[in-house]
Amino acid sequence: MAGVVHRPRLGVVKFASCDGCQLTLLDLEDQLLDVAERFEIVEFAEATSRRSKGPFDILLVEGSISTPEQAEEIVRLRREATLLVTIGACATAGGIQALRNLADHDAFRRAVYPRPGLIESLPRSTPVSEYVAVDAELYGCPISGAQLLELLTALTVGRRPQLPDEAVCLECKRRGAVCVLVAGAQSCLGPVTRTGCGALCPVFGRGCYGCFGPREAANSESLAAWFAGDGASDKEIRGLFAQFNVNAPAFRRIVEAGRDGEGSVR
Amino acid sequence: MVAGAWFLPRAELDRLVQSLRAGGREVIAPTVGEGAIVLSGVETADELPHGWGVEVAPGRATLVKRAAERVFDQPPGPTSWKRWTFPPRVDQIEWIGANGERLPQPVAAQPKPMAFLGVRACEIAALAVQDRVLAAGPVVDADYVARRKDNLIVAVECAVAGETCFCSTMGTGPEVTGGFDVALSELDDGFLIRVGSTAGSALVDGLGLAPVSDVQQAAARRAMAALRDQLGPPPPTDGLPERLVAAVDSPRWAEIAQRCLACANCTLVCPTCFCTSVGQRSELDGQGATSERRWDSCFTLDFARVAGGNFRTRVEDRYRQWLTHKFGTWWSQFGTSGCVGCGRCITWCPVGIDVRAEIMAVAGLPAPEAVPPVAPVVSVASAASVESVALAPGERVMPWASARVVSKTSETADVVTLRLATDDPGLLAGQPGQFVMAALPALAAPPVSVSRFHPDGLELTVRAAGAATRAICNLERGATVGLRGPVGRGWPVDLAEGRDVLIVTGGIGLAPLRPLIDELLRRRDRSARLHLAYGARTPGDRLYKAELDRLAAGGEIEISQTVDRAGPEWLGRVGVVTQVIDRAFCSCDRTIAFICGPERMMEATVKVLHERGVPDERVFATLERHMDCGVGLCGHCQLGRFFVCKDGPVFSLAELGPAFGREGL
Amino acid sequence: MTARHLGPTDRSLEDVLAATWLTYPLPVETRSRLAALGRLATVSAGDVLMREGEPNDSLAIVLDGRVALRMRVPERGQVTILTVEPGDVVGWSAVVPPYRATSTAVALVGGELAVFDGPMLRVAFEREPELAAEVYPLVLSAVARRLEGTRLQLLDLFTQRWTEPW
Repeated sequence: MAGVVHRPRLGVVKFASCDGCQLTLLDLEDQLLDVAERFEIVEFAEATSRRSKGPFDILLVEGSISTPEQAEEIVRLRREATLLVTIGACATAGGIQALRNLADHDAFRRAVYPRPGLIESLPRSTPVSEYVAVDAELYGCPISGAQLLELLTALTVGRRPQLPDEAVCLECKRRGAVCVLVAGAQSCLGPVTRTGCGALCPVFGRGCYGCFGPREAANSESLAAWFAGDGASDKEIRGLFAQFNVNAPAFRRIVEAGRDGEGSVR
Repeated sequence: MVAGAWFLPRAELDRLVQSLRAGGREVIAPTVGEGAIVLSGVETADELPHGWGVEVAPGRATLVKRAAERVFDQPPGPTSWKRWTFPPRVDQIEWIGANGERLPQPVAAQPKPMAFLGVRACEIAALAVQDRVLAAGPVVDADYVARRKDNLIVAVECAVAGETCFCSTMGTGPEVTGGFDVALSELDDGFLIRVGSTAGSALVDGLGLAPVSDVQQAAARRAMAALRDQLGPPPPTDGLPERLVAAVDSPRWAEIAQRCLACANCTLVCPTCFCTSVGQRSELDGQGATSERRWDSCFTLDFARVAGGNFRTRVEDRYRQWLTHKFGTWWSQFGTSGCVGCGRCITWCPVGIDVRAEIMAVAGLPAPEAVPPVAPVVSVASAASVESVALAPGERVMPWASARVVSKTSETADVVTLRLATDDPGLLAGQPGQFVMAALPALAAPPVSVSRFHPDGLELTVRAAGAATRAICNLERGATVGLRGPVGRGWPVDLAEGRDVLIVTGGIGLAPLRPLIDELLRRRDRSARLHLAYGARTPGDRLYKAELDRLAAGGEIEISQTVDRAGPEWLGRVGVVTQVIDRAFCSCDRTIAFICGPERMMEATVKVLHERGVPDERVFATLERHMDCGVGLCGHCQLGRFFVCKDGPVFSLAELGPAFGREGL
Repeated sequence: MTARHLGPTDRSLEDVLAATWLTYPLPVETRSRLAALGRLATVSAGDVLMREGEPNDSLAIVLDGRVALRMRVPERGQVTILTVEPGDVVGWSAVVPPYRATSTAVALVGGELAVFDGPMLRVAFEREPELAAEVYPLVLSAVARRLEGTRLQLLDLFTQRWTEPW
């Protein structure tokens, strides 16, 4: 798309999600105006009443696939989009609602709803990539506005998007933040989590929650063993990884280890 | 210079701080941060960590309040002076001008003069090591040089050691023996002050202090002796660099990788690590393009990425690279160890990996009785640190120049040759085998082979392998491009004198060899036989097709072309390029070989050359690695002890040794 | 394989076998024995020496010229996957079961071959084990060399791995 003169058609759609990632685009404020000038926003329910079912040059997809209807819709949208970009932990990993993947979904339905048959819901909440090919992913819960801008800039300027797959620790150290794990004996997931938030929580003295999901070569086992050595119980450790990216394999492994009482996370 | 020592009473410490601030200096000193001692700007002595200590262990650092009001009784914290001399993010290049005519301008650093208060012995050694890396090579880091000028170093001699300290093992402490303007030794009622330079002496003069008493001197000596006891005898490190480099196949690396998180903390707290990456910032439409240098680490995945591959994906390979570099190949590169024994990497590793144990485990040293202790790492007193880095602005800096596209040839579906005009004398004086870094606004700057030199310019042959190279391929006549170079060590053309020259290459590998062929043909009578064996994927993927046919017909150079597969219209050879030479009936005892191509192809070629009796000293290959700077400063292109950008990219097989073709190096 | 038979030439087949890389390591007696089993032949550009999948009766050594080995790929036509250069063998399938050509061999330019009748060679090998013991390793090493080359071709080292949309 380098050097494009026409305004690419941009769409923003949503599946099972909280809307926070779309909100990040709105939160760009002044830069949103630049985006709106450079791109033709044809579908963005949270921002405009203009609707379109496609085609899209770029489609930002928020939310996980959670119902049979959504499973069909994403396949249709894939056909309409030249570039499909998933945004946020729900779309890239399944979100916090993927906690149901570890439990009996049917039992929840029966316990909560008087007429469970009315609720059409897939047993698992899954990332978009389980249904269609995805061209790019923006991680985070919510995504980083700066990374979204970088992706859009890369598309218009024609450069490779600079979305480094590195640990939060690099950003902490660049910012001069003191490591809460080493100095504060906190359980911080930073070393196995992708940066993108700018080390937001550690800078405020709180361990990383893992919002941006596991980075490449995430050695969750080693970190879990360290927490255990510090006295954390298996349940506590599983709880650390069972968050917004629970369904991402490198985190899910820890949550599933020893769930049935066999083996432990150590 | 005033000799002797003085005494500064504890209550008067702030006079020293104010004295340092005189003349607009920023004073950086240890302060109490969130759970650790962090270096920060201070305005009064009150901000120093009076009465604080830190208990350290692998993966642990705990602030403790002590009864005594001593100021400097802590081991080094997570921040180092590198934060001020080599900041985490620095703007390097701005693209100035109107669209289509933008030129790269360096961003000049204008740092305030600084005073570093509380620099420990290991940290003085670290500054000296960084001076060697960043300010002593053929090309220096201009930003670092500007920031290191006029640093006033107020050292402090440690009185306590942390559990992770090992300066005595690395020969950098605990005594402060040089590299300072002023040195403090903390006593219970004040500070013993020594002077180490003219600037220091002027400072102390201004304080009007009383000379130190014998009792006070004795107290300082006792404190140092106690510290030496606390540190204990250093373990032997004889032959450590060689042993580490030789341990490339140790099973220990895989074992460490099970624990190591590859989180890069060790490299980022290290006061000597210098690896960086260059990022691009711009607005949505490409305006306001700036390139930025930021701290990076050999532990990140992208560190060793190249178009179409990555040389170090496994964590065990990345860990081995770090440890072997820090304690081993740093010696070959800079004449000193990279490690100063500060212990930060041990303390701040989230899972407490202890490099002292790891290097002993990997290097498998003999028992302590058998080996004499190691010599000091850096001769601190003679290191260019205090009367510092005295380079004039612009000296030994490789600047960016610009060139204009004169014409363009499409070689294949994805390869383009650009003919560029320039009047930059540096670019015009390039040698066959050298390369340039080529930059366009808002895009990464890749290394590109120079495929021909002209009196008024040069030619670049580029493959559209990524966004940046594709943009270069899309340049039209009249467009400008920023070039840095020429850099690297080129082909040893003189060695071809009197020999049979064999050139074996494939695909785009012919590009860096074309200037060599140009030169060999210019001095045709000085070589015996000239033979080019050139392989490509298909007939359409060959470079310089018309030129090759013309050269072949000319008779001065024998050209054997081959492809991996072809359609029925191709009447030439189909098969691998190595089989052009493996059964040839000719003698190879006066052959010199120049090869370029994918590493696996080069390996197959070398195998055949060995079978034909061509020795490693007469086989020269050009290598490719990830490069962000091209001048030996960003650290990405390292292969063992070599920086491919400045020690290469041309190497003889003899000097590469087992590093050639080794996976994961 | 079809080839025109050549009359008496200046060179004997024995001299030729002494000068090609495939056969020059053989002891003199073996070369003579082999020479007796073969003949020199010329080919013209475009001559088809054997067809992929069909029975192959001749093993030949290229002496001069170039022979293309081609395989049929329906959507792409005939693809040349190797050329046999002087000194190399074409038609080793004549002495390896099931004695069917694994590719189509076409002379790209006019040239000269040393041709050996497959069935005759096989009978000779059965009757003279020492001959077999000398010749089979040569054929095997030529095929091994070809396999090594094929593997490098297979690695597709010059290809561009470009999967991202930017």
